[in-house]
Amino acid sequence: MKRFVRSTEMTLLVIGLVFFVGLVIASGGDLLAANSIRVLLQFLAVPVLIGLAQMVVLAVGQLNLAVGAIGGFAAAAMGVLMADHGVPVPLALLIGFLLAGAAGLLNGVLVVLTRINGFIVTLATMTILLGVQYRLVGTRTVDAYPQGLKTFGSAALFGVVPWIFVVALIVAALLALLLKRTVPGRQLLASGGNPIAARLSGISNDRSVIVAHALSGAILGVAAILTVASSPGVNKSIGGDWLLPSFAAPIIGGALLTGGSAVVLGTVLAAFIVRFVDTARAEFSLEPSWVNFVVGAVVLGSVVLGQVRARRQERRAVVKAPDAAVAGGVS
Amino acid sequence: MSAPVSSTATEALREDTPVEKPPRGTPWWANQRVGLLLLVVLLSALFGVLRPAFFNQQLVVFPLLRDIAMFTVVGLAQLCVLSIGHMNLAVGRMAAFSMMITGISYDLWHFTLYSGLLVGLVAGTAIGALAGWVIARTGVNSFVVTLALDFLLLGMIPLVYTSLTENAAFVTKPPGMRELRNFSLADVCIGNVCGSPAVPQLAIFAVIAMAVVGWIYARTRLGRELLMTGSSVRAAELSGIPTARRVIIAHAMSGCLAALAGFMLAVSTGSIKATIGEEFMLPSFLGPILGGTLLAGGFVSIWGTLLGTALTTVIRKGLDLLGVGLESLNIYLGLILLAALSTDRIRTLLSDRQAVASSSPPPPPKAAGSQEGER
Amino acid sequence: MTLFEASEIVKVFPGVRALDGVTLTLEAGSVHALLGENGAGKSTLIKVITGLYRPDGGRLLMDGREMSFGSPHESAAAGIGVVHQERNLIPGFTVGENILLQKLPTSRGLVDRAAIRSEAARWLAELELDIDPDQPVTELSVAQAQLVEIAKALSVESRVLLLDEPTASITPNEAALLFRVVEKLKDDGRAILFVSHKLEEVFQICDTVTVLRDGASVLSGGALADLTRDEVVDLMVGRVHEALSLPERAVDTAVPPILELRGVGTASGHADVDLSVRPGEIVGLYGLVGAGRSELAKALLGLDRITAGEVRVRGEAVKIRTVRDALRNHKIGYVTENRKEEGVFLEQPITRNIAVTIWDRLRKVLGYVPAKVETAMVTSYVEQLGIRIASPSQLAGTLSGGNQQKISLAKWLAAQTEILIIDEPTVGIDVRTKDAFHTLIWDLAANGLAILLITSDLPEMITLADRVVVMRDHRIRGELPNNHDYDQMSQQVIRLIHAEGTTAA
Repeated sequence: MKRFVRSTEMTLLVIGLVFFVGLVIASGGDLLAANSIRVLLQFLAVPVLIGLAQMVVLAVGQLNLAVGAIGGFAAAAMGVLMADHGVPVPLALLIGFLLAGAAGLLNGVLVVLTRINGFIVTLATMTILLGVQYRLVGTRTVDAYPQGLKTFGSAALFGVVPWIFVVALIVAALLALLLKRTVPGRQLLASGGNPIAARLSGISNDRSVIVAHALSGAILGVAAILTVASSPGVNKSIGGDWLLPSFAAPIIGGALLTGGSAVVLGTVLAAFIVRFVDTARAEFSLEPSWVNFVVGAVVLGSVVLGQVRARRQERRAVVKAPDAAVAGGVS
Repeated sequence: MSAPVSSTATEALREDTPVEKPPRGTPWWANQRVGLLLLVVLLSALFGVLRPAFFNQQLVVFPLLRDIAMFTVVGLAQLCVLSIGHMNLAVGRMAAFSMMITGISYDLWHFTLYSGLLVGLVAGTAIGALAGWVIARTGVNSFVVTLALDFLLLGMIPLVYTSLTENAAFVTKPPGMRELRNFSLADVCIGNVCGSPAVPQLAIFAVIAMAVVGWIYARTRLGRELLMTGSSVRAAELSGIPTARRVIIAHAMSGCLAALAGFMLAVSTGSIKATIGEEFMLPSFLGPILGGTLLAGGFVSIWGTLLGTALTTVIRKGLDLLGVGLESLNIYLGLILLAALSTDRIRTLLSDRQAVASSSPPPPPKAAGSQEGER
Repeated sequence: MTLFEASEIVKVFPGVRALDGVTLTLEAGSVHALLGENGAGKSTLIKVITGLYRPDGGRLLMDGREMSFGSPHESAAAGIGVVHQERNLIPGFTVGENILLQKLPTSRGLVDRAAIRSEAARWLAELELDIDPDQPVTELSVAQAQLVEIAKALSVESRVLLLDEPTASITPNEAALLFRVVEKLKDDGRAILFVSHKLEEVFQICDTVTVLRDGASVLSGGALADLTRDEVVDLMVGRVHEALSLPERAVDTAVPPILELRGVGTASGHADVDLSVRPGEIVGLYGLVGAGRSELAKALLGLDRITAGEVRVRGEAVKIRTVRDALRNHKIGYVTENRKEEGVFLEQPITRNIAVTIWDRLRKVLGYVPAKVETAMVTSYVEQLGIRIASPSQLAGTLSGGNQQKISLAKWLAAQTEILIIDEPTVGIDVRTKDAFHTLIWDLAANGLAILLITSDLPEMITLADRVVVMRDHRIRGELPNNHDYDQMSQQVIRLIHAEGTTAA
């Protein structure tokens, strides 16, 4: 418990709450109306998922530049299947989901097989999938799919909590369970935290990398489903603005780029904070650009602070036990 | 030159073991640049055969060379930070930022074409140096810092444009800009001999950039120290290289070149707007990486960057002429990138196998590699 | 009773036979030492036994049955536990999870935390360790981490335990704790293989020994009680090792010190450090790993803050801010102990590795460095230091450790430094090259260089130093003139190290 109080999650929770209370006061209490909360959460579902999709690859020390492309491609595929080919909704969603998962799997397999840096591999797959997405929808906006799906996209539990947000939370909970309490999840994190040690303990790092990328793809598949359900239509620009937020949430949430950290809660909280920034922007009717500006500043600020804190801890540790300086693997 | 080592010590240090043979140099067919050059030539010939219009000087070759020139500069901007093992994800946004300043200088201060360029270069250098400074000061990964900077600029630039312009673009065009866009070497004559109408004058900027960057990396202390910093920051610091300053300089160079590329784009499209540089990210990595520059730092190739850029641009243009939709071109570009890098991997494996004379046991297979965590 | 046997093991890498018919027999209830110089094949042998490499010949026998290990998992399943040289704990995981990482207990598909806690506690109790299984490993001390790794190695129900350099980074007191654990495991009937460079430890806790040289076992399973220290060394080196004879060298004590530290304290915890070096003098700074010697050197170079006292160079108080400042303005150089990460640029050509310190001096207009002068300079040092290379454009990473160390030193000679701090110059270097380095260091001092020699190799210190300064826990514990008499000096130094009772943890 004491460890949690000092954790990044706790800090984010406090910041988020303060921010929210501030917003409520600034809006004169309007923000607490059921409709306002519903809108707030409605636009939070997808950012939570894309943050998690990035977080899970960061956990093995990889990154995924293709988050937006995988999501956009899957969404386009679903839309086209339903609208142009009359495929039943559940089947179309399932196919799209599987396509996204397969794209993630492909990323992982390529990284492992070619030993090329994951940055370049996902840059390449991103480019390819963007092209495919364009091939699928062109300049159209595909929206001729069944109303039932759209109804689901805008429905809310008790009129307050949108179903799509519930889905996002379920995915987050499942991911947390997977990473913290299952053997494959622990192995994935072990590979990210110390690949050499993991290998010596009989864990396949290659498998961990593939699993992480595949999971990332699957989460993006869900994100694509929610996007299709909640937006007026599917076009070529879906996913185009996902890349930066996908890094912002886990980084603010405390993920290490070197791997080994599973910060599901941190990522979700960070997505909330980013959403609050957007709400504040709307509240004071500022230009949408302000959101990017502020989020950029927050990302930079949080990594710089994290680094400073890490360095201070290191220094303190060195003074206490001089031997710590040689303990490269543990610290 | 003082020689503090006496002959007795030299004698003691001499070894009777045979010279340690380095793994044999890579055979010529494994040389990346030769392969690239062949590819560029073959593909150009192929496209020329399929669509003779590919060799049309004014309509195809002129804009093709203009694009190659511009994207080479974009590639060099990335190359500068790759040389120290960093990345600049904000390369496009830095171009947009610099051009915003240039636009302001034309619009509000009525600068001439070249003094506006100069202001832009200074702005680019400054924003790059800022990124470098944050990285050097905090020790945070360059990926994250430039990503965050990209966010910041992405937010800031439209704000400035909306507050200063009517249609989100600076409309004042200084004299000389239109000429620079359209003039080729045909407009440069010595006596009666004029240059080719296929070569745009704008390409001169790329030539200058290549010459300067090439000179720095091949001949000067700065370039060598940058490469050493890229090879091993700790060893560089302990060898007396001011690594923090080198990091700042590398990023400043990157910002400056990004600004130059932004200027070239502004001139060739004829407008200064907030979206300048949006397409820079992918080509900025494609050129250098295809050309052999290491992502991990410590090795750069200027010619490789030109050839890598030429390859992708020729393919883009050729496919365009063949009627492949502009955006689906991405599919092919991505596939080519993957194929090129995979074959590179295969080539390295093959030439390693030929050079089994190497005496050390193979390094353990690399574990789950992170982007900068391998060193 | 023979528990495990590796018989006639052969392992071939392209161009080199790393193991050539090595035989190793481990008995239950006995500690067996594996000795050999760097490159003799110790780590290759361990990798074969643990299933990381497949042998090209020979047999592995457990309880007389032939085994074949395709991965570390399989050797662990067969009952072989390993504590590797590198730290092998996963940061962010608890002690318990790390111990049981090889087979995390599950119930209904989920990792069973209660089972981890109780099972890990059982292994920790077996080793009589007072560590909470729920503690994150990042909070452990180095020695605790080492012991947790032993618990991890035991957790696969291992009857054979391989300890690869377990004492490399822990203090003597912590090592004593480790040895108690080893004794206990031995009494329980386990077979233990102990790999170490420290012969004192080997003689202290091992019963039998196998010595490897050039990939072959020159002694397989000899009783240590029948051997002397010198005999073991001769077996490792392969010839009778003669003591090095060095020419006379006198230090002019009338000359004032060129480098002087007065009451220096640093941000990494040094206090009241007094130290001086004269031109032509070799001052040995002796201490165990973690005593704070390299940290002191780095503080001198401006890599750490000096918080108290003053540093005087050539009689003037100075504030050195960076390595460049130290080199350019004070002619101080530092040969690091960490050769591969801080000493050489493995992926750069030899030329640049040596010339890196002189570009600043050679540069002309616009930073242009004339290649000809550069190459001439480099070639001269390559010849003087007898570095065997195929071409100056060869990458430094392709050279042997000894030659890399020469390059790491050459750059400071090329920079014409007058004060040279040399940190553990002969770690991981074979005995012959070691002698050559000693001759060189001696010779540099004879030519007027002031040398501060940091080492934890007592014989090296006693061979070379004019004065010996002993450091422990970031403080100077005493200074001795060196009379080059090994027995007498080593006793005095050890006494200083252990003065005032035990070291604080």
